[in-house]
Amino acid sequence: MADNVIEFKKVNKSFDETRVLNEIDFEIEAGKFYTLLGPSGCGKTTILRLIAGFADVTSGDILFEGQRVNGLPANERQVNTVFQDYALFPHLNVFENVAFGLEIRKLKKNEIKIKVDEALKLVHLSGYGRREIAELSGGQQQRVAIARAIVNEPKVLLLDEPLSALDHKLRKEMQGELRDLQRRLGITFIFVTHDQEEALAMSDQIFVMNAGKILQSGSPVDIYDEPINHFVADFIGESNIIPGKMRQDYIVNFDGQDFECVDAGMKPNEPVEVVIRPEDLDIAPIDTGQVNVTVDTQLFRGVDYQITAHDAMNNEWKINSIHPTKIGQTVALAFDPEDIHIMRYGETEDDFDARLETYD
Amino acid sequence: MKKWRISNLYLALVFIVLYLPIFYLIFYSFNVGDTMDHFSGFSWRHYATLLSDSRMISIVLNTLIIALLSSLIATIVGTMGALGIYSAKKATVKNGLLSLNNVLMVSPDVIIGASFLIFFTFLGFSLGFGSVLLSHIAFSIPIVVLMVLPKINELPKTMVDAAYDLGASSWQTLTKVILPAITPGIFAGYFMAFTYSLDDFAVTFFVTGNGFSTLSVEIYSRARQGVDLEVNALSTLMFIVSLLLVVGYYLLGRYNQNRRLQRVKAAEAKINQ
Repeated sequence: MADNVIEFKKVNKSFDETRVLNEIDFEIEAGKFYTLLGPSGCGKTTILRLIAGFADVTSGDILFEGQRVNGLPANERQVNTVFQDYALFPHLNVFENVAFGLEIRKLKKNEIKIKVDEALKLVHLSGYGRREIAELSGGQQQRVAIARAIVNEPKVLLLDEPLSALDHKLRKEMQGELRDLQRRLGITFIFVTHDQEEALAMSDQIFVMNAGKILQSGSPVDIYDEPINHFVADFIGESNIIPGKMRQDYIVNFDGQDFECVDAGMKPNEPVEVVIRPEDLDIAPIDTGQVNVTVDTQLFRGVDYQITAHDAMNNEWKINSIHPTKIGQTVALAFDPEDIHIMRYGETEDDFDARLETYD
Repeated sequence: MKKWRISNLYLALVFIVLYLPIFYLIFYSFNVGDTMDHFSGFSWRHYATLLSDSRMISIVLNTLIIALLSSLIATIVGTMGALGIYSAKKATVKNGLLSLNNVLMVSPDVIIGASFLIFFTFLGFSLGFGSVLLSHIAFSIPIVVLMVLPKINELPKTMVDAAYDLGASSWQTLTKVILPAITPGIFAGYFMAFTYSLDDFAVTFFVTGNGFSTLSVEIYSRARQGVDLEVNALSTLMFIVSLLLVVGYYLLGRYNQNRRLQRVKAAEAKINQ
C-alpha cells in the first residue's frame, strides 16, 4: 500500500446536473506508465484535472502519497501537466518556458541553467533555448511542453492527449520516446488518450473508461485478450462479437454449433457474448474449418487484407488475413478454443476477476 | 497594366478626397498673406508667430499632459476592468458588465459631456484641469476595455492552468503570464485612448473652465473669428509628427521581424553543424 502515489476513493464529480464521474476507485503505483483510455466525454480528462488540482471533487477522496489532498490548490501539488494544446507561454522563449517553474521556486541562476539544459537534452532540443515558441514546429513545441513539466521533477507527470495534434509518423516516434523517457526518469506517468493503439503500445496499466466509470483495468495484454464486456471488446481493437449460450463449463454454443472454449464459471445455458479477434481467424478451404462464410468485401491495407463475410446464420465476420480471397467465394474459418473469449452480460470487474481466478 | 481597374480609380479618388483638405491647409500655412483666399508668396511667418505664442504653446502642452495622463490611468483601470469581466463566472454578469461598457462607448460625446458638467457642478467640483482629466479618463476606460478584452479571451485557458501547475501563485500568474501575453492589447488600448483624448472636443468643451483649454477647444474658439494661419502652421507640425510616428512604427516592426528571422537562421545553422 505504501507504494501508491495516488488513490481515488469513491470519487464523484458533477458539473451542474450532469454527473461526469461516477464512484471512481483506483490506485496508482509509483514508477509505472498508466493510461486512461476512453471515448471523448468519458471523464478521463476530468480525472486528470482532479489530480492536478484544477477542479475539485463533488464527493469522495483523493489521496496523494497517503495524504488527503482535496482542495489543495494546483500550485502546491507535486504533479505537473503536459497539456493537449501544449499551453506554452508565447512571450517567453524556449529556455524561459522550461525555466518558469524553477524560477517560481527561486532556484539559483546557474542551477536553473544546468537543469533546463539537461531537460532540453532529454527531449532532444539542445541548442533550441533561445528560440521563440512561434518559431517551433508542433512536434518541437510538444517536446518543450514535456521538458517544462519534467524539469520540476514531479512525483507524477500528467499527460492530456499530448500526441493528438501530431501527424501519424511523429506520433509513433513520440510514443516510443515518451515510453523511454518514463523508464529513464522512473516517475509515474498518467497518460490520457482516446487512441487504443497508443494505449496498448505505451502502457504498463490501462484503465478503460466510458460514461464516467472505469470499466476495466489491467495490462494491455489482459485487456486485449480478455475484455470484460461488449464496449471494451469493441473499443480496444477490432472484434467479432456474436451472441451465444454457455452450454456448460468450457463448451459454448453459437452459430448453431457447440464449440470448445477456455472459459468457465457461468450458469448452464446462460446467454453470453463471444469475442473472436479478426486476426485469430484463418481462412481455409470450404468445410475444413469451424464455420463456412461467404466473402462480401475485401480491402487491402498494406500489412494485410481486411475481409468481411457472412455465415449461414447471417452473422457478420471480420477477418484480417495476409492471404487474399475472392469476393463471393465461400471459405471456411478456422480458429482454436484459445481464440474464443466469453463475456457475460453486466458482469462487474470484481466478479470478472474473481471468476478468472477460479480456473486460470 | 492588366490590373488597372475602375476600383483602383475609386481608391485613388477616396484618398484624394481624404488628403486634399489637409494638403490645402498645409500649403497655406506657408502663405505670406493672412487668408487662404490666394497664395501671395512663401514665408515662415506663421510658424514664427506660433512659436512666440506662449498661450498656444502652453495649450499644446496641456493637451499632451491631459492625453498622456488620462490614457495612462484609463489603461490601468480599463485593464483591471477587462480582467474583472473576463473572470466573472456567471454569463449574465459578464454580458451585463460588457453591455454597460459598450453603452458608454456608443453614447454621443455631447451627452457624456453634458452629464459630466451637471455631475461636477452638483458636487461643487471646480471646472478646469481636474475636471477635464477626470472626464477624459472616464470616456477612455471603455475604449481600453474593448481593446484588452479580446486579447484576454484569446488566451488559451490551459495557459493559466499551466502557470498554476508550475507552482505560480495567482499574483505570479497575473504578472508573469497573463499581463505579458496581453501586452499588445494594452498598448493598443493606450494609444487608442491617447488619440481619443487628444482630439476630443465635445466633452472637453462642456467640462473645461477657469481659463484651462485644450487644442481642439482653442482652435474652435479661434476659428469662430476666422481661421488664423497660425492654426495652419500648428496643424502642419502636428501632421508631420504623426507621419513620423507612423513611419517609425512601421520601421520598428520591420526591424524586429528581420532580427527574428536572422536569429532563427543562426540557430538553425548552429544545430545543423
